[in-house]
Amino acid sequence: MTTLVRAGRVSFLVRRRAVTVSLVLLALLAVALLFALCLGKPYVAPGDVLRSLSGAGTPYDVVVQRLRLPRAVLAVAVGVLFGVAGALIQSVARNSLASPDIIGITQGAGLAATIALTSGAAAAVIAPSALAGGLLAAAAVLALGARHGLAAKRFVLAGVAVAIALRALTEIVMLTAEPIDGQRAHIWLVGTLAGRGWTETGWLTATLVVLLPVLFWAGWALRTSAFDDDTARGLGTRPVARRVGLAAAGVLLAAMVTAQVGAVDFVALVAPQVARRLVRAERPPLVAAALTGALLVVLADLVGRLLFAPTQLPAGVVTAAIGGPYLLFLLVRRKP
Amino acid sequence: MKLTAQDLAAGYQDRAVFTGLDVELPDGAFTVIVGPNACGKSTLLRALARLLPARSGTVLLDGTDLTTLPTREVARRLGVLPQSPLVPEGVTVEDLVGRGRQPHQRWWQQWSAEDTAAVREAMGQAGVAELADRPVDQLSGGQRQRVWIAMALAQRTGTLLLDEPTTFLDLAHQVEVLNLLSRMRDGGRTVVAVLHDLNQAARYADHLVAMRDGTVVAAGPPREVVTADLVRDVFGLDCVVVPCPVSDAPLVLHT
Repeated sequence: MTTLVRAGRVSFLVRRRAVTVSLVLLALLAVALLFALCLGKPYVAPGDVLRSLSGAGTPYDVVVQRLRLPRAVLAVAVGVLFGVAGALIQSVARNSLASPDIIGITQGAGLAATIALTSGAAAAVIAPSALAGGLLAAAAVLALGARHGLAAKRFVLAGVAVAIALRALTEIVMLTAEPIDGQRAHIWLVGTLAGRGWTETGWLTATLVVLLPVLFWAGWALRTSAFDDDTARGLGTRPVARRVGLAAAGVLLAAMVTAQVGAVDFVALVAPQVARRLVRAERPPLVAAALTGALLVVLADLVGRLLFAPTQLPAGVVTAAIGGPYLLFLLVRRKP
Repeated sequence: MKLTAQDLAAGYQDRAVFTGLDVELPDGAFTVIVGPNACGKSTLLRALARLLPARSGTVLLDGTDLTTLPTREVARRLGVLPQSPLVPEGVTVEDLVGRGRQPHQRWWQQWSAEDTAAVREAMGQAGVAELADRPVDQLSGGQRQRVWIAMALAQRTGTLLLDEPTTFLDLAHQVEVLNLLSRMRDGGRTVVAVLHDLNQAARYADHLVAMRDGTVVAAGPPREVVTADLVRDVFGLDCVVVPCPVSDAPLVLHT
């Protein structure tokens, strides 16, 4: 069932099924990326895409390397961060509905970005504002939900309440602003990859690299996340500290990615649950959730780009269209 | 003495369950704590296992104040099985038993060959080796309880505290668990359990602690402790105590 991986003093267990699933997802992701580089107007044949990527020089270099590649790579980064963030937060809350777009982090980022966009602030201020807004919203949720040791149900309920309040505030700010500013805020809120690329990918990659040791720790610390507090304490862990640490990592990832590309909804909700079902694990597996998220966003962006071409649908609209029905499925299913 | 409580006070919110409690649990013995509902026996067990912080007084493990030890170090010496632990959904037996190894691991060294050996040994001792690949939430109550005990065994601690390990089990499975705990005592461990059934307590315990209303009424070998007067005093029940025809332990028959 499991295999021990060892490198020097570092060692960890992997489930064989998780490895198989991850490899399959990786292969699918490669195919999806190739589609993302080929399809559109103009159509570029796969052979030309590969030749252009290898630097051979083709007439399609601008389309492939400047227009499509940065956006496709960004889609991967966005999906990875949302997938991992959702997996962490869902595991800590022991609830498949607990994801950053349900418990207020996305809405916090959205409110801050809306205020920045409608108050005439410089473009460079928008992403940092959104990041701060997301983190502040998460702090409010933790403060409200952690009164009795971050009990799982309270945490989610507090998050839903904060999300609703923030969304209402965002509407007020948008409606009272100049119509043109309100329009810009609306576009930002939906979440799109259009016109974005290497800069955003750079920020997201840096975040991931910095948090890599934390994520390695998380893979181990999550092994006690499904226990009641007495059992976890009996194993010599500090359950509340662990939950706060794991949730903080998830919140940071979610706030960072939302600040860069806006609210690409439901990826953090759907990807971890799909990965969990594929791997048949008790909790969303981090690596598989990251790859599922990446696949989801690459495909969503591709569909959004092609479906009503030349009009582009923001990726956030496509993921919401997939995520809405999925959320309903989760709600009507027998077991929560 | 393995575990000693000195002038211990513990409780929940504004309710003190006990104050000024003294109790000594002998090394290498099977100690059973008995008493009526709400007498404070589970609270005592949680306080002894540092799951519930003491309001005052001290708990000594091998003579060392528990609060001075890092919780991870305590977990390498003292294992605890709460009353009805939450079963993680879809986890296999082997996976769950492996989580008993947490206090022996570090975040960068998440598994070792010793962990594998400890898990295999614990599953063998608890008789759950053949269930290794089964999901825990699909097992019967008796099997599940043995899996939890296996997890505590994998922790490889010298002392093990169990809160009502036989509750919700039928008689045959109760006996199975009690025999397993006896074997652990025979293997050199100090075992402390809260039990409901006074006759089982009298038969299996080396050392009996009887509690009522947050105080220790009597403590000692069952043969000395279990008398008709004590049962009346602790449980408010009229009874006769006769030698058990099978084990010669005191047998309580209510009248």
